Amino acid sequence: MSESNFTTKFLKLFGIDNQGHNRRDPLNVWVPLISVGLALIFGMIVIAASGRNPFQAYGLLFGDSGLIPGGPAWRREFAELLIKSAMYIATGLSVALAFKGGLFNIGAEGQFWVGAIVATFFGYWAPVAHTFGAMYAALGSFGWIAQLLHGAICVIMGMLAGGAWAAVAGYLYVKRGVNIVIGTIMLNWIAWFLITSWLVIGPMTPPSQTFTSGTFYVADTAKLWRIMMPTRLNTSILLVLLAAYATWFLLYKTTVGYEIRAIGYTANIGMEAPRAQGINISRRILQLMFFSGALAALGGTFFILGMQYQFPNTAIMGYGWTGIAIALIGQSEPLGVVLAGLFIGALRTGATSMQVANIPKTFSDIIEGMAVGFIAMQVAVRYYLVKIIQHRHARRDPPADQEAAA
Amino acid sequence: MKALEVRSISKMFPGNLANDNISFSVEKGEIFAIVGENGAGKSTLMNIIYGIYTPSGGDLLVNENEVKIRSVEDAIKLRMGMVHQEFMLIPRFTVTQNIVIGDEPHKGIFFDYGRAVREVRELSERVSLTVDATALAGDLPVGVQQRIEILKVLRRGAEILIFDEPTAVLTPEETVELFVTMRKLQAEGKTILFISHKLKEVMEIADRIAVLRRGKLQGIVNKKDTNEEELARMMVGRNVVLEIPKVDVEVGAVAFACHDLHVRNKRGYEAVKGMSLEVHGGEIVGIAGVQGNGQDELVNAMIGFSHPVSGSMELNGKNMRMVTTAQLRKEGMSYITEDRGRRGLVMPYTVRENSVMGQHLGRPFSKGIRMDYDKVGEFAEGKVKEYDIRPGDVYDTAGSLSGGNQQKLILARELSLPHNFLIASQPTRGLDVGATEFVYRKLLEEKKAGKAILLISLELSEILGLSDRILVMFEGRIVGETTPDKTTEEALGLLMLGVGIDKKVQS
Repeated sequence: MSESNFTTKFLKLFGIDNQGHNRRDPLNVWVPLISVGLALIFGMIVIAASGRNPFQAYGLLFGDSGLIPGGPAWRREFAELLIKSAMYIATGLSVALAFKGGLFNIGAEGQFWVGAIVATFFGYWAPVAHTFGAMYAALGSFGWIAQLLHGAICVIMGMLAGGAWAAVAGYLYVKRGVNIVIGTIMLNWIAWFLITSWLVIGPMTPPSQTFTSGTFYVADTAKLWRIMMPTRLNTSILLVLLAAYATWFLLYKTTVGYEIRAIGYTANIGMEAPRAQGINISRRILQLMFFSGALAALGGTFFILGMQYQFPNTAIMGYGWTGIAIALIGQSEPLGVVLAGLFIGALRTGATSMQVANIPKTFSDIIEGMAVGFIAMQVAVRYYLVKIIQHRHARRDPPADQEAAA
Repeated sequence: MKALEVRSISKMFPGNLANDNISFSVEKGEIFAIVGENGAGKSTLMNIIYGIYTPSGGDLLVNENEVKIRSVEDAIKLRMGMVHQEFMLIPRFTVTQNIVIGDEPHKGIFFDYGRAVREVRELSERVSLTVDATALAGDLPVGVQQRIEILKVLRRGAEILIFDEPTAVLTPEETVELFVTMRKLQAEGKTILFISHKLKEVMEIADRIAVLRRGKLQGIVNKKDTNEEELARMMVGRNVVLEIPKVDVEVGAVAFACHDLHVRNKRGYEAVKGMSLEVHGGEIVGIAGVQGNGQDELVNAMIGFSHPVSGSMELNGKNMRMVTTAQLRKEGMSYITEDRGRRGLVMPYTVRENSVMGQHLGRPFSKGIRMDYDKVGEFAEGKVKEYDIRPGDVYDTAGSLSGGNQQKLILARELSLPHNFLIASQPTRGLDVGATEFVYRKLLEEKKAGKAILLISLELSEILGLSDRILVMFEGRIVGETTPDKTTEEALGLLMLGVGIDKKVQS
């Protein structure tokens, strides 16, 4: 058995062959895990290099992240972790779904806020809010039906609006050839400033209040149910898990998903193969952008209906950007996105506690950034991983020709 | 003096001997042409000389000194220059910027644009290649862009110039101008290697001509001792002909028809200039022609990738000029492509997923929005057995299959689509004998089943063996129609290369 033959055989054992990596390749799971591990190790080095104790820092970071049960504040931390993660998973799914179709939807940020503002509107807008308020009062012990309906309307309208917002970029791409990255990033800023510089301090502010107080508060019927009293944990985590399942189902079980993946796989060579089979690429791309935008907007509705109950004047951008990192760490697979979302949510939750020990919370951002960096270097990670595996195997089981020579 | 000598150069690609022991020498100040069909090994040879490929064996001599050319930089140092078929210009740069890029005149760390412009003007005057040194490259016609490329290599001091199919992108007028330029360069003492498959041009410009066929040098002839017919015969030669059984089928109704079809290529030039043809059920119509004579554009129009600018196109009597691929597919068009990697299959998709693309909507492969992958799997398993697609695991990606098995997968898919008109565009390109024979057998089965088949091929043996009628395509037009029993490879070869067409048109 020649050396090259040995290598080929071995690579094949781990799901890699000359034709690029296989979807059933176990390395697809190991690469993100190892990347995150490397990020954590390098994070320790960075903390140590700044003269602080990395073990103390990690102890605080993960001890208060909500991931590890126990401690007096655990229930609250766990709730915070899930509330944060729900929003990150939503934007992560949004970016991941677009990636699957070969599109870089960098506009999850804008779509998130469009979802948030529309959910706010339907949450407080008198015709809707009064109807459900009256319904709630009339139904008595069946008042939950009114809550369910009002919440659903807010979430659905938010998702439709976010989807439509993303579809604008899709339309510009399909009909006018505007690069999807450019289109979505421009729409981010349009959305952000329309909302924060006009709607929130203008038409949607209660007249008696000052412009610094944000919009009207949504009616009680629009708020997401709390599911773990006394914490503010709400149904958003359940909804986002449902969305993750729906995304997986769309991609791997439906005809649309089948076509979207075919488009994504051929995006860099002109999508000719699916086109030649009669697949309507423009339509699928428009639909894909709509779905993607709706997912990001779902996160925006959580922000309002689960946490803030109004669109505050102090909202800070970042949920969509984080979604990009999560989609990358999660390898664009719905399950991976859920896990990556929980990881980032944990880092963000625990970061605050680190500050108590005089360790800047930006260290958690550094870890996050490095995780993405190592994912981006996955070709190298893969390469060394295979080398290590080969090395170990070669020691345990020397190739046949060496034995023959000996 | 010999400017360049090639001694028994060979180049082995996996499964393909692209250059087989080629030797020739080029005198200084000579225009030396290398002709051959596509895939004959011309470009490989030039890439070896220019340092892009390393040869598997053999030696190169420049100015009678043995040299090792390991990179393009080495080649440039040896005063060689290549004018590529696809220009490598930056459209937003001026002519001057394009010419000096990589070797800019500078003052300290600053680019001395003024001096660059002067240098370019001097150079263009000296070799009398007129260009506007300050115009934007992107605004200039193709012929002038090529002149920029030539100036670029001259400025680097090139003494040996390689022109890789330079006329492929030029209009006839621009070609005439190019030849004037080449003569001037020759008069300056430059040595020119001219790669082409257009015999008329070769006969006009070259001093000596080397003919390549399937990687082998067929011979070197002096221009004055030869003619187009002889060159064509050397180029086409006799291929190993597979035994193709004759199948007689009663010809049915017209399935596909087009009349006076005009189609533009991607650059907006008319590549199909008024084609009319009919394909009946139970008939194989072969389109013979040298690559680049409008076949790709014709196919693109027939599969709905581009819309013809004028003319009519009908499938089963329905107007199909401005429709989408989906509509053509619905009407019964099936398509076997030569470009398996881009157009035929989604390479990262599994055999299973690829096998149903195009018929995945509706029963039996989906119910509503839901794909029924169990049914897809069953179907794929069946096809893998029927078509003997190896290694036979439906979960293998298409990209991991060999070319022959990829083509079988395409056939399996296309022939299982409901269809009555099959476009087979170079269906055996890059396939070994076994897979080729399989494709032939399937095409003949299709014919027996009464399907209308349009076969577009560069392989004459294939055209002659399979077709009931043969159309010869040259420069976007049909220049001849014949049947296999009334013609020979030689006669077809001449027609394909445009030999004698002018005479016919005039008479």
